[in-house]
Amino acid sequence: MATTEIHRYLRVGERRIALDPEGYLVTLDDWTPEVASALAQEEGRTLTEEHWEVIAVLRDFYARFESAPAMRPLVKAVGQALGPEKGRSLYLMKLFPDSPAKVAARLAGLPKPTHCL
Amino acid sequence: MILHILNRAPGTSLVYREALAGMGPEDRLLLIEDGVNGALPSQVRHFEPVSNRLFALREDLASRGLVGRCDETVQVVDIDGFVELTEEADKTVSWF
Amino acid sequence: MDRHAAPRGDLLVILRHPPHGTSWLRDGLDAALVAAAFGQTVSLLFQGDGLLALLDGQGRGALGQKGTAATLEMLSLYDIDALFADTEALARLELRADELMLPVVPVDTTRIAAMLASHRQVLVF
Repeated sequence: MATTEIHRYLRVGERRIALDPEGYLVTLDDWTPEVASALAQEEGRTLTEEHWEVIAVLRDFYARFESAPAMRPLVKAVGQALGPEKGRSLYLMKLFPDSPAKVAARLAGLPKPTHCL
Repeated sequence: MILHILNRAPGTSLVYREALAGMGPEDRLLLIEDGVNGALPSQVRHFEPVSNRLFALREDLASRGLVGRCDETVQVVDIDGFVELTEEADKTVSWF
Repeated sequence: MDRHAAPRGDLLVILRHPPHGTSWLRDGLDAALVAAAFGQTVSLLFQGDGLLALLDGQGRGALGQKGTAATLEMLSLYDIDALFADTEALARLELRADELMLPVVPVDTTRIAAMLASHRQVLVF
């Protein structure tokens, strides 16, 4: 769920982007690729072409289903969009270590996935 | 055997029909909260298909002044009886 | 699927409430999605006015609240493909299974008890 609680601000160029306590955007419309890069940089991640195509899949998913996917549907959606080679949890674990569904949703400017713990 | 638990009265909600449709030949039905209104002689006909497997919770009957007004086919159980029914069942399903 | 064998699974979620109005339908779908995200096999049974969740052309609430149609379209990505509709509800609402937004298998009301028995866990919403 998107929260409305502003925990801190992320500086992106001239803009101040409000983040909730878990680092998700408070205002989903704030998202731009620059915001994603700034969020990634904060966590010491560098976004490659492979990251960006998964981020695009997530943004499409949210536009269509109004919900951020848990791991299983994320794997499935990536597989459908980018092919079976990439539709594997191992691949996503490597791209977005720790918790791919949560990390990738945050970078893609989605709310925190509601159906995973 | 499934213990089905119903907390709505047949006079105000049609959920009892779906509860009955979900009941197998061995299943039991326990009326709780407003569901106990269904234990009145005027209402109990709604539960005719399961009349030998119909229970009502004493505490909820008591708070509504219905203990002495229950139909004689209804088996009245207290909270301990509720626990026993739950233990005897494979699972419980709540209808509300 | 064998027409005569009751569908089996870890969890059967029964949806009896229509979209909007209350949060029961959304809560039931959320329960189903969480279970599926944890690898449980989930079946959905649409009963009573819950069947109205499957009508085409639903939108947001008058105040812009989210509907449930988008969530229903997402079910297959959570591997929730076992969707059933009570034939009695179909008849009462004068709906045909083939005019609903998702493919559902009509289940005769007399077979619903077997369906409850054949799932490890049943939640009604």
